[in-house]
Amino acid sequence: MSLWKDFSSGIIKENPVLRLMIGLCPTIATTTSAINALGMSAATAFVLIGSNLLVSIVRKIVPDEIRIPIFILIIASLVTVTDYVMYAFMPALHKSLGVFIPLIVANCIILGRSEAFAYKNPVLNSVLDGVGMSIGFTLSLTTIGIIREILGSGSVFGISFINSSFMATAMVLTPGAFMTVGFVMALLNRFEKRAQ
Amino acid sequence: MKRIIQLGSLLGAFCVVFGVLLAFVYIITKPQIEFNAKKNLEDSLKEVLPKASLFKRLNINSNEAFEGKTKEETVGYILLQSPKGYSGKIEMLIGIDSKSSVSRVKILTQTETPGLGANVVSEKFLKQFIGKTVKNKLEAKKDIDAITGATISSKAVCSGVKEALQDFSKLK
Repeated sequence: MSLWKDFSSGIIKENPVLRLMIGLCPTIATTTSAINALGMSAATAFVLIGSNLLVSIVRKIVPDEIRIPIFILIIASLVTVTDYVMYAFMPALHKSLGVFIPLIVANCIILGRSEAFAYKNPVLNSVLDGVGMSIGFTLSLTTIGIIREILGSGSVFGISFINSSFMATAMVLTPGAFMTVGFVMALLNRFEKRAQ
Repeated sequence: MKRIIQLGSLLGAFCVVFGVLLAFVYIITKPQIEFNAKKNLEDSLKEVLPKASLFKRLNINSNEAFEGKTKEETVGYILLQSPKGYSGKIEMLIGIDSKSSVSRVKILTQTETPGLGANVVSEKFLKQFIGKTVKNKLEAKKDIDAITGATISSKAVCSGVKEALQDFSKLK
């Protein structure tokens, strides 16, 4: 069924971070800990699903020439809403993610899916695509976040279990992020090959 | 020409719709945000001057300040400074105890570069200011260790503390 395909492809087969390789900036920046990765995934999911929904709803009345400004308008508004709602009701997470919340606007996944999918597909398919991509994004970010947190800070979701003198600080910095993304990508490819 | 007007009007209409939506969200979240800011300030004041049990708001040299008291006496003062950092204001609290030296410095808000200037909030950097008085130079890279790669942010924090001590000494 086409609906199932639209939903499931974003999870593994066309995982945005590990396959399509878009949205890498927030991946590198916010996976310093598992909880940050999860928080960022949730905020991005809201914007991605919301923008896919709205773009698909208005796709018939938006002319081709101004579609990009309209996409940006929708995405930026959703991000602003997310920012204010988090600022008001989740201040700790908002402080933790800081400047990366407004930066969701620059996340390629969102504009990419609006242009490549939501603008040309019906509403339900677009929403499912958004949900599937969000799940894929969440899984990859959280995996990378857990790895970086364990190796770099000796904890998982804030619960320490290794003495901090044993740590590889590089893991919570950018080089560690790139290495982890590379390893997780390689692992995924290996498992998919085996499954075949 | 007609096409341009059509497109422009449609774009304008969309902007109006989303503008109204955003104004709506702003109004709804405003009270909660102000409440959070107030609570954050109260918690921060306690952190900076732990001996004080209540804080009286005052003005020192047209800057906001607080007098920390217990039931019997004044234990110190907290000055609010907002020096210009690398990318925006760094809002900070400087606690000054009864010996006219810095009790603690706490950063309330900043929008410096994550991983560089943002590290001015670290305990390691801020604890250098404890015990300093108006007699200290408080210059980054001289008597205060700046954060590597974040000289401007470090200098900003130094100037905030320095200004607070100067304002305080003029008061006394």
